[in-house]
Amino acid sequence: MPGTVFQEIAEGDELAIHAIHRLTFLLIILPPVFAWVGSTVFGWRLGSADPMYFDTTGRIIISFFYAIALAFGYISTVLLASWMALTYGAKADLEAIGAMITVVVAPLSIASIAHLYPQVFINVLVMIPAVIWSMNLLYRGLPVVMHIPPERGMLMSSSIVAWLLVAFVSLLGISAGLWTYGIGPSVGV
Amino acid sequence: MTNREVYHDGVVKRLVQFSIIWAVLGMLVGVWLAAELIWPGLDFGQFWLSFGRLRPLHTNGIIFGFGVSALMATAFYSVQRTSNVPLYMPRLAWIVCYGWQVVVLTGGLSLLAGWTSSKEYAELEWPFDIAITIIWVCFAVVFFGTIATRRIQNIYVSNWFYGGLIIVIAMLHIVNNLAIPVSINKSYSIYAGAQDAIVQWWYGHNAVGFLLTGGFLGMLYYFLPKQANQPIWSYRLSVVSFWAFTYTYIWAGPHHLHYNSIPEWVQSLGMVMSLILLAPSWATMINGIMTVSKAWRKLTVDPALKFIVLALAFYGLATFEGPMMAIRSVNVVSHFTDWTIGHVHSGALGWNAMITYGTFYFMVPRMMGTELYSIRLANIHFWLALAGTMLYIISMWGAGVSQGLFWLSIDEIGELSYSFTDVMASMVPYYGLRLLGGLVFLTGTILMAYNLLRTMYGRNTVQVSPPEVLDEIRGTAHNPNAVMGVEPAAGKGGVPA
Repeated sequence: MPGTVFQEIAEGDELAIHAIHRLTFLLIILPPVFAWVGSTVFGWRLGSADPMYFDTTGRIIISFFYAIALAFGYISTVLLASWMALTYGAKADLEAIGAMITVVVAPLSIASIAHLYPQVFINVLVMIPAVIWSMNLLYRGLPVVMHIPPERGMLMSSSIVAWLLVAFVSLLGISAGLWTYGIGPSVGV
Repeated sequence: MTNREVYHDGVVKRLVQFSIIWAVLGMLVGVWLAAELIWPGLDFGQFWLSFGRLRPLHTNGIIFGFGVSALMATAFYSVQRTSNVPLYMPRLAWIVCYGWQVVVLTGGLSLLAGWTSSKEYAELEWPFDIAITIIWVCFAVVFFGTIATRRIQNIYVSNWFYGGLIIVIAMLHIVNNLAIPVSINKSYSIYAGAQDAIVQWWYGHNAVGFLLTGGFLGMLYYFLPKQANQPIWSYRLSVVSFWAFTYTYIWAGPHHLHYNSIPEWVQSLGMVMSLILLAPSWATMINGIMTVSKAWRKLTVDPALKFIVLALAFYGLATFEGPMMAIRSVNVVSHFTDWTIGHVHSGALGWNAMITYGTFYFMVPRMMGTELYSIRLANIHFWLALAGTMLYIISMWGAGVSQGLFWLSIDEIGELSYSFTDVMASMVPYYGLRLLGGLVFLTGTILMAYNLLRTMYGRNTVQVSPPEVLDEIRGTAHNPNAVMGVEPAAGKGGVPA
């Protein structure tokens, strides 16, 4: 149960923390792998239009940058949470914060199985409950792991959510920019 | 000062009531429009129910009905308390209150009747433009008159933002609406071609800037420290960000015209200024978050503060997304897609509506001298508002990115791969999700309307007199936060009463 896991992280249970850390890599690598398989077998599907297929190099580049973006997102969120801890009077080392973030992103990473069929709307539909579940885990887990009252945890969690929203929208913007420069789907620019 | 002097809160209460009514009506029209995009037959063959007429009704109802009524209410409420005097010319304030509602109501009906200048967010025809100008000048007289008669030397930062709102919107409104009337319901702009477009988006973007951002920042800078019972984290940063914001925003309009027939250097100027704008915007967000971070204990008992926290998060998102979308290589994908609609609503729902809701939940019980009718309803409203906003912007992100790719897709002989109707037909699932998000948000707003109207029902506003002010606060320029009416804390600002 997530509550127990957060408690174990908070108590510094090294066995639990290391077990979670071993999952981190897998959770980061799953979405790009699913995206790679999906784009190879089914192609990208936008609504009712014909699927878009990319060549092998294109698929590898997209999946590689996706993995890099997720790794950057993970590391930056851990560092940001550690930095914010100063403001919110929270106490936790980087290992514990990393383990907490891994638990929080687990639903999102597992829901990325929807990438196997890269139809945008299906992915949106599957990811919405996953986002809600992950947010719920963040709001529940953060005060426990960081040893702060729930109200203060709510403020700190909201700050992290703001960062994640910005990070996500940056990803959209960077993608759009890359498309314009010829990386990814062929657009007539 | 005599003891009989009291703040004029009756007009504030009435403006809050009007604002709530416009919020419900405006959002209801928005939900109807969202449904029309899925089921076009919902116009029942009536011109006045067509998308083209309802859409400006939605935007004008929300911006000028809900938004401006809320800004007038909060400006009147806070300027009295930060100036330590009742409103200057209170009868004129009542004229502003009712006059504004008449303009919004009749203007809305004229839009339904098909009267339009065709300028986005400035659709109202010339008779309404003149009426708006007159009422706006009256608003300025009351607001600046109150500041001119203040008993405290400092002009608190919220008043700088409200003042900026009044002056800049007057300038934008008059310049953009200069036109030659040909009949009671038709006029032609004095500008033509590219100049018309540049002036229009100089207006359009700065209406967003100085009304939906600057005006609501005025609200934030007064009500956040009050709700949090904390001084602003850095008063100096708030003043610096005000001037940086004011100077930078006014140049950003051309980013609405990327790849259009205006000079490329003008587009680049708009893009660069939009990027610079991120600095003052985020300075304000950090200032707000740091202020509220010390008030965490109040979160358990104060639903209003939750709205403020969330509003700050969405403010951060929207003010980051905007400059990003102003980059030309991003804009080529995002422009004319629903990504823009999602961006606008992350600001309108997540920032403007949330900060207004938080402010109303704070202000109404205090004005009425009672408790909020139901804290539980307010908490339910909070989660509905969050869920509605998230559903809305996520669906529009999906729709917008898809549209961007569709419209730029070309086949092997260089022709467009998809027709407009193909693209629109594939949007139905996203529009369904958007409709759901809108319905959830509207439901929350209706709960708030019920909650606040029950709180106000059968009660008059409490009679509040300006408190005695310490000489050192009255005369000094060293402790601007002390204008909030209390002893200054060590180092920075003061704790509001």
